[in-house]
Parts: sequence; structure tokens; C-alpha cells
Amino acid sequence: MSINTIDSADGFLQGEKEPSGSWVFIILGLVISLSFLVLYSILYPGQDLPVISDLMPVFSGVFDSGIWFFILGTMIGIFSILGRLLLEATSE
Amino acid sequence: MDTILSTMFYFWILLFVVFFLIQRGLWIFNDVAKGTASFMLEKALGPGADLVEGRPGSGARSWIIQGMLWLIFASMFTFTSMWLTHDPNALHSLASWGYYANADELASAGVYATLYGSVSMFVIGSGFHIIPKLAGTELASETNANLVSFIWTLSVLTLVIGSQNNSILGIDIIPLGVILNTVALIAVIMNQLLTVANRTRNMAIPGWLILIALLSNPIVSFVSIASGAANDNVGQWLTYHLFGGTFFFAGVAGVALYSSSIASGNPLWSKTLVGVTLFGSIFTINPFGDINGQMVMDAFGPLAENNIVSFTNQDMLSASFLMALVSIPVLAFASNMLVTMRGSGMFVDDPNASGNAELNLGSWLIIPLAIGSLFIQTDTVSGTNELIGIANTLSVMAGWLVLVPLSLGAALSIYPELVGRHLFSQSRARWGFWMMTGGAMFGLSITMVADFIDLALIESFVEDPSALSEELRTVGSVMFYGVVIGSILHSLNMVSGMFRGEIISKKSVTSSSISVDSYSLVSPTTVRRILASGADLDTEVIPTGENDEKGSATKL
Repeated sequence: MSINTIDSADGFLQGEKEPSGSWVFIILGLVISLSFLVLYSILYPGQDLPVISDLMPVFSGVFDSGIWFFILGTMIGIFSILGRLLLEATSE
Repeated sequence: MDTILSTMFYFWILLFVVFFLIQRGLWIFNDVAKGTASFMLEKALGPGADLVEGRPGSGARSWIIQGMLWLIFASMFTFTSMWLTHDPNALHSLASWGYYANADELASAGVYATLYGSVSMFVIGSGFHIIPKLAGTELASETNANLVSFIWTLSVLTLVIGSQNNSILGIDIIPLGVILNTVALIAVIMNQLLTVANRTRNMAIPGWLILIALLSNPIVSFVSIASGAANDNVGQWLTYHLFGGTFFFAGVAGVALYSSSIASGNPLWSKTLVGVTLFGSIFTINPFGDINGQMVMDAFGPLAENNIVSFTNQDMLSASFLMALVSIPVLAFASNMLVTMRGSGMFVDDPNASGNAELNLGSWLIIPLAIGSLFIQTDTVSGTNELIGIANTLSVMAGWLVLVPLSLGAALSIYPELVGRHLFSQSRARWGFWMMTGGAMFGLSITMVADFIDLALIESFVEDPSALSEELRTVGSVMFYGVVIGSILHSLNMVSGMFRGEIISKKSVTSSSISVDSYSLVSPTTVRRILASGADLDTEVIPTGENDEKGSATKL
């Protein structure tokens, strides 16, 4: 996205439109934050990061590792692709 | 003669014979061979051919879409294996379904899905578009290309299942997957050979790179088994790297070089460098990948034996020498790519430059990763084995930071032409690129730091595992999850683009007649794009567009 208009005041310049690339750095920050969360034990010694079975005891003994957050995320992604395929194919 | 040189010698001779036959034909048997191949590709399939469509471009599209879907599974398997390395019991609950997740087996599944599911499908799919274009003809059989893509996917699925449990009901699963894979590949080769036989002009070298890549796969297999190289670990190591150098490197280089011109709008910089890349991929040993030939032994099944021998001095010398020479084709390829895309300044925001960012990334990173892999392989061949601890991570890096970006970039760049529409969202393409790149680069780099820590501990004879190393592996695997998200975003973009992407205007800048002296402007475009197309300040820009003003009768 280009900066079409520029606001100028006493030599200070600022684009009025947000460059799309700035989101990359926000996401990078989020990813780094997530990484630190994974290192939960550093922030909160002696405690592990909560997992799905801690939040929903019904899944105790099943989703008792952090990896399930990621696997469920992937499953949502895969189903969104399948859903998109079905919707697009039937909408025409 | 030793194993390395003798096997490579047979490979070179056989490849030369095949190349000679392609160029000179089969004498009086030409028409018979063409007719038979044509019959085998379509009529012999019977009702199977009616299952798929045979519209122009449908074959390539089918391969690329399936390759994209495999990329999600490939990244997921790799991510899960990285996670299980530091948390082996994370998926213990799946044992109640009879599945015992293991990091090594999942890593193996990731390798099969990455190399055969994604990279190969992108290369073959792009090849179905590129070779007919360069040969000035149509693909011999779109129907066959389309149908075979599903057989290939079935073969990859079999390989992935085999990597988890290689023996089901007494049947070796991986060799079964390899047989399916070979059947599909032979159909692909026949299709492409028939296409090349109908060429109306000399095919540019990137097309030959793709064709040689396809042909080399069965030739390497035949030579390895016939010469007995497949029976010991040295021959298996060589066979593995011959596959890597010819089938994967040459194939990826062929589609990437073609796409660098398509994505940037610039003419391919140097024909000589493409030729050097082609010959270099055949006459050198590519160091990317594993330090052993276990995959070859698994693939050949009963046709391979499990003899352990050490590299002889002559083997060591010839392997090290031929591996060192790989710098020539790698540098030739990278420089040609980067100079071709010079100054184009087009990134993922430009719908006419899809895949440009991925191609750039792969072209930059192939050099440091080739040098790193060279050190690792030389360390193994010489028997020193000091760097064995980082070999696996470097191998995964070569896959996700070189082979995948280059093949994906090529597929993305030709995809709009195949479906007649741009990708659905350039913003999503940008997200996909950054997530994949950041995830692979940071995730694997951090994992490699953990590898170095473990190496240092082993050298110091420290038996207790390092807590820091474990935590770094955790961070590395979480970061690698970006690759999974990037794959999903790219897939969504392709699927949505197929239906709702912006229709490609026939008046795109690529339809302009571009030369250094004059530039025919047929549609609005940017100065940057005109300059990127080889124009300079003295180039005459000639507007040739039509106008909508009402005309009047011509006075005679």
C-alpha cells in the first residue's frame, strides 16, 4: 500500500495511510510474545503453561499437552479450506 | 573402479543415450512410438479418463492444488516431529486409537510429504505448463496429466503411512508407495516426451532442466539397482544425493528459472548460466539432504541390501571432489535468478508478481545452505562425524528454505495464467509468505542453536540434558508453526482465487512487446515496471492502447 497523502507540520512528516508492512512487525511481536509464553516456566517458575485439559477437565488425559492448541488450529485451517471449496463450488 | 565413480559413470552414459534418443528420435519407429504412447495416455485408460476434465491447463492446475494441500500436511508433520523431540509424550492419548506418535517417524513422514507431496507436485505441475509453452505446442494429454496427479497423491499417502508403519499385513508399505509413484512418474514422462516430440521450435534450457529431472529419476533407480550400488550404505548415500541433485535440484531450478522471468517481466539473464546449471546438476553430487541413504533402502525394499561398508579412500576423494563442484551450478543458478529479477522491485503486493518473493528467498538462501550442507556431507564422507548433530536440522532447512520456496514461488507465478484469475488476496499472499519464511527461518535457526548446545555437551562428556536446549527446541517448534499457518493461508488464497480472484486482463503489461529501444504501452502501468522490463531513460514509450472516443465515417 502506498502513502498517497502526507501530513506536514514544521518539517515533521507523517503518512496518513498505514503501510501494510507494519502489520508484519506487529505479528512478529505477537509470535515472540507467544514464544515467551511457551517459556512460561521462566515467568512463573514451577508452573507449566495451562493446556486444554486444564481449562476443560472433560478432556483430562486427552488434550494434556500444549501441542493440541496447534493441532486444533491446523484442523480449523484445513476445515476452512474444505468449507471454502464447498461454498465456492455450490455458490456458482 | 570405486562405487561412486562407477555408478555415476553408468548414470552419465545412460542419461546421454536417452538425451540422444530424444534429440534424434527412434528412426523408423518414431510414428509407432508416438501412436502407442498417445494410445497409452488416453484410450488405454478406458472409462478412467472420463473421471477428470481435459481442458487446457487442468492437468497443471490439479498438480499444483494438490501440492499446495500437501504443503499443509508436510509442515504439520514437521512441526509435530519438532515438538515431540522435546516432549515425547505430548500425543500419548492417541495410543488409545493404536497410534504411537514418534518424533523420528513423523519427521520421516514430513520429508515424504514435503519432497514428494509438495515440491515434486509443484515441479511436475509447473512442468506441465512450462514445457508445452517452451516447445510451442499443447500438452499431449491433459486428461492423463490430471488423472495421474491423483495416483501420485495416493502414492505419497502410501509413503506417509509407510513411514509410520512400514509393514501392514506382511506387506512392505514404502516399496508399494514407490511402485505407485514410479507408475505415475512414467506416465508423466511419457506425456512430456510426447509433448516435446511435437515441438514446433527449439525448447529453451529451463524446459530441458525439467525434462532431465523427470528422466533422471527412473534412470538413477535403474543404475543404482543394476550396478549393485543399492546394496551398501555408500551406494545408497550416492543414490540419495543423485536423486537430490537431478530430480529435485534440476527440476526446481528449471521451474524457478522460467518463473523468474514470468514473475519479474525481465528476460532470463544468461543462457550460459542455465546450461551450467543443467550440466552441473548432472555431473556433480548435490550435498543437500540426509547424511545417509536410509530413504533409498526403504524405497527399494527387497531390491536393496543392508551392507555396511566404509567409504574407501577413492570414494572419499571422488565424493568430496564432486560435492565441492556443486558450487558451480548453485552459484550459476542463484546469480541468474537474482539478476533476472533485478530492479523489478515487485513484491507480493503486485498481483502480476505472485511468487516473486518466494523465488527471491530461495535464490538467496541456496548459497549459504549449499555451503553448510557441503561441510556436513564432507564431515560424514570423511568419517569425522563431528557435525552429525546439526545434519538433520540443516537438511530440513534446505527443504523449507530452498526447495519449497523455489517450487512454491514458481507454482504461484504461473497459477494465475492456469486459472485465468489472480490470487484472491495479495494481502493474504504477503501474510503467507512472511509466516512461512519467518517460521522456517527463526524456528529452524533456533532449533539449530539447540543442536549446537547438545553437540557441545556431548563433546564435554556431559550426560545430563541441557534445560536451555530443551527450551530453545520448544521455542523453535512454536515458531515453525508459522509455516503451517502460512501454508493454510496460501491454500485458502489459491482456492478462493480459483473462484473469485480478479480476472486477468488480456491487456496486461506482459502482452506488450518489450524491447530496449521501444516499449509498447497497451495498458496503464507504473514507471517502475517499465524500467524493470529492461527499458532505460532513452527508451521510447509508444502508447498503442485503444480509445473509446466515438469515431466517424472515413472520408474517401
